[in-house]
Amino acid sequence: MEQLSNLVISDHELEAIRATLSKLLHDTSASTVMLLDKSGQVISNFGNGVRRNVTSLGALLAGAFSSSRQVAELLGEKDFRTIFQQGMHENIYTTLVEEQWLLVIVFDKLTHIGLVKVLSKKATDELVRVLARVKADTSRRKTSVINVEFRSSVEDTIDLLFRD
Amino acid sequence: MALINIATHEIHCKIVYYGIGYCGKTTNLQYVYKSINPAIRGEMLSIATETERTLFFDFLPLDLGTVHGFRTRFHLYTVPGQILYERTRLAVLNGADGIVFVVDSQAEKFEENVQSIAELEMYMRRLGKDLSHFPFVMQWNKRDLPSALPVHVLDRYLNRRRVPAFEAVASSGIGVFATLRAISKSVIAQL
Repeated sequence: MEQLSNLVISDHELEAIRATLSKLLHDTSASTVMLLDKSGQVISNFGNGVRRNVTSLGALLAGAFSSSRQVAELLGEKDFRTIFQQGMHENIYTTLVEEQWLLVIVFDKLTHIGLVKVLSKKATDELVRVLARVKADTSRRKTSVINVEFRSSVEDTIDLLFRD
Repeated sequence: MALINIATHEIHCKIVYYGIGYCGKTTNLQYVYKSINPAIRGEMLSIATETERTLFFDFLPLDLGTVHGFRTRFHLYTVPGQILYERTRLAVLNGADGIVFVVDSQAEKFEENVQSIAELEMYMRRLGKDLSHFPFVMQWNKRDLPSALPVHVLDRYLNRRRVPAFEAVASSGIGVFATLRAISKSVIAQL
């Protein structure tokens, strides 16, 4: 499995992602809907359930998901594509979008898991289409952002900030 | 995998510290957390056992602020070093943009270091990446210990690719930022 080295998300595609997440949040009455990259980075985050520590949450959820796929391999199972974490008040449903992104829905006991499963499947189908466009567009858009000036400015900033 | 979000003007990169148990991966992150300007860093997250060994990973987000119109973030991770956590190491490596291989310089740890780097090479191949063309630096840690092997020996047997290598005593911070600067620049150069 070859991993991409970059993924560039444009305004247009982020808008499509936001529209999908917002609709899912509304239709499931979830408290939060997030789209993560499997490396743990938060691409978009909707709702009022998780305001703080979004970055840490992204890292942990992606880590838990990645870990569960290793469990699947040890069991001889082809893959676990979803994880359901059930709490007293809050539940989390995480599902894979192709091999690249994770769709996360945080919801309480007033929302039925069946509804979350069905609607997240619909949302995943839409996100797969967005992902295909993002992948196709990445190399073209990257050159418009990552140029010599950018690299040199970041290097200067690294020298300035990463020191004792 | 670096994420470049043009819409929100953000760039995220993931750096993983890899190496054997007790080689000093967590110590590197703890020193960065303790010494760097607090405005740059987020909360450090550690999933450890009761005896403070890393069970899953440590995580430290660093935010360089807005550079050339883009908010640039580095997320530092460590893998658990103990042999039995090999599957967890693979899980944490997923999506990495750069790797620091932390070597415990002590002679008695040499064989373990060799096995660990072989394991890393295997995992990278499994992830479809070639370490020879990937942001990768070495850190010779624990240089202050009496049984530390000479650097030229470590370099010859553990650094076949001749990637940048840094001497360190992570517990007192020596070499920690030099290593971090090198891997961060290498990641940016590869974007």
